Amino acid sequence: MFEQQLINGLTLGMIYALIAVGYTMVYGVIQLINFAHGEIFMLAAFLAVTFITVFGLPIYIVILMTMGCCALIGVLLDIFAYRPLRQSPRLAALITAIGMSIFLQNLAMIIWGSRPKPFVQSALPPFLRTTALNLGDASISWLQIFIFAVASLLMLILFLIINKTRVGTAMRALSQNRTSAALMGINVNRVISFTFALGSSMGAVAGIMVAIYYNTLYPTMGYVAGVKAFAAAVLGGIGSVPGAMIGGIVLGIAEALGAGYISSLYRDGIAYAVMIAVIIFRPSGILGKSTVEKV
Amino acid sequence: MNLTMKHALKYLVLAAALLYPILSFTNEYVLHVMVLIMVYMVLAMGLNIVPGFCGLLDLGYVGFYGIGAYTAGLLTIHFGLSFWVIIPLAAINGAIWGVLLGAPTLRLTGDYFAIVTFGFSELVVLFLTNEIWLTRGPLGLPGIDPVIIDFSWLSTLINPQWDWYWEFIGPQPYFYLGLFMVAMVYVIMGRMEDSRLGRAWFAIREDSIAASSCGINLLTYKVIGFAISASIGAVAGAFLARWTMFLSPDMFKFWESFLILCMVVLGGLGNFKGSLVGAAILIALGEVLRIMLPALNLPTETRFLAYGLIMVLMMRFKPMGFFPSIATQSQKNPILIKLKKELGSS
Repeated sequence: MFEQQLINGLTLGMIYALIAVGYTMVYGVIQLINFAHGEIFMLAAFLAVTFITVFGLPIYIVILMTMGCCALIGVLLDIFAYRPLRQSPRLAALITAIGMSIFLQNLAMIIWGSRPKPFVQSALPPFLRTTALNLGDASISWLQIFIFAVASLLMLILFLIINKTRVGTAMRALSQNRTSAALMGINVNRVISFTFALGSSMGAVAGIMVAIYYNTLYPTMGYVAGVKAFAAAVLGGIGSVPGAMIGGIVLGIAEALGAGYISSLYRDGIAYAVMIAVIIFRPSGILGKSTVEKV
Repeated sequence: MNLTMKHALKYLVLAAALLYPILSFTNEYVLHVMVLIMVYMVLAMGLNIVPGFCGLLDLGYVGFYGIGAYTAGLLTIHFGLSFWVIIPLAAINGAIWGVLLGAPTLRLTGDYFAIVTFGFSELVVLFLTNEIWLTRGPLGLPGIDPVIIDFSWLSTLINPQWDWYWEFIGPQPYFYLGLFMVAMVYVIMGRMEDSRLGRAWFAIREDSIAASSCGINLLTYKVIGFAISASIGAVAGAFLARWTMFLSPDMFKFWESFLILCMVVLGGLGNFKGSLVGAAILIALGEVLRIMLPALNLPTETRFLAYGLIMVLMMRFKPMGFFPSIATQSQKNPILIKLKKELGSS
């Protein structure tokens, strides 16, 4: 029982971590809670199903295509909604983000209908549903291994992009001080666009994974997942990418164990409670830089 | 428009509003929408204290609205308390939760505080959904009594023939009760704005370091503001419970918080009179869209799509709302007006 919950929680945690890096990177560079990020996650699931049913493409190509599409959506979101508001108060940008989130959610509802849909099972390789390993009472399915592998690979790529490439260096510079970064010749808007593209494509993979894992997709799925991933980002220390990864995994495990041992009704509440507790007792999170409060 | 004409117009509008429900051509549906607008007017004014006066973003205002509504609903069903007793109880309960949430979290600033309030309101909805023994969960809480004015104890003392007992049926009495509630909150807001409390809030909003160096205890004043805001929200909730006579957790989703925040922003942050206009515009817009969209063969979900888009465009082109407050308030100061006149003439 315990091992099984741990494994389920870990799988869920990897997915949360993938979404959470999108929040934390955007927050790092422009200090905005991108509420619409959860909606990109949801759009990814619907786009993937559409690509499979309309074009009949294999799943691996669909994942890549969806990543590309969502990266584009993320960049367009930034250009049309957030970029005009760079100089305005934070509240304006935040309201815009929530507004875009509601807009995209209802757009999906109009296009695809509000009823939950199953994922197209025929597009998946059949072995994914079979059990890979038996550890005592617990079993791990190939799907869980697949999710774990893909998420780990993406995290590794993300880590390399942020730490080893020029654009990654630019992103880190931007998160430290935008003015200085601009003075050093960094094209600020291009780097911000890149951040949105990177975060959105990670969220896209997470969206497809969740749709496959739970075999269901619906227009409001982005809201709850987005909030939980955001809680994970806060838990890890908002603005810190490794923090978001750790926060996602910790939150996933906490949620699975909490649902198993405390109350499954409060499954979603655990994320909120953890988030509030972290903010009250340690606002900088597990790995965040502690900012000195002036007042 | 000169000042007397403005005043005349104001009273004309007020008289029209007072007379409207008893006119013969009155539409019950329009009246219902007007009561709804009044509920949101109270909510928008109450919320304005936190982001408008103190400069803190509150994304979970609907949590207090829900607390007030369920306090009223449960007290009515289980203890049969009168509306007039419930209103202060709901306000106190709202304020208690405001202090409980505010005291540990109001030392946080900006986004962190916004997130905590957001998480709080989601937890309130989860609690209302899951604690079925108390709230009946998603089934909702039906059969809440309407508002009753009961002076029968007095009337029978005076004259056994009299029966001073009125039950509120239909939208007309709620219209006047709602108008009374809006007026009370309006007066309270106006008095607070000009008081020591209001000046302290504005000081905190404009520059908290300067405010604390002037001897304002930041945390105390913020907690007071948050608690007052919460209790106003709870009063609106209590009114809602006794008006709709049915409550369900779905009525207190995050979407509502966003809607109220939009009203505040639309009317101008920090200008509680603007909040009235913001509430009227957004609720009326929602009703117009609800009627128009099916006529255009669009699903009703498009309503929210339009809302989202309007907020985005609003932030893009008028981020300070229709009635930005900060500059206008000081412009009305008679000393300033006199000074300007003298400077202009010389």
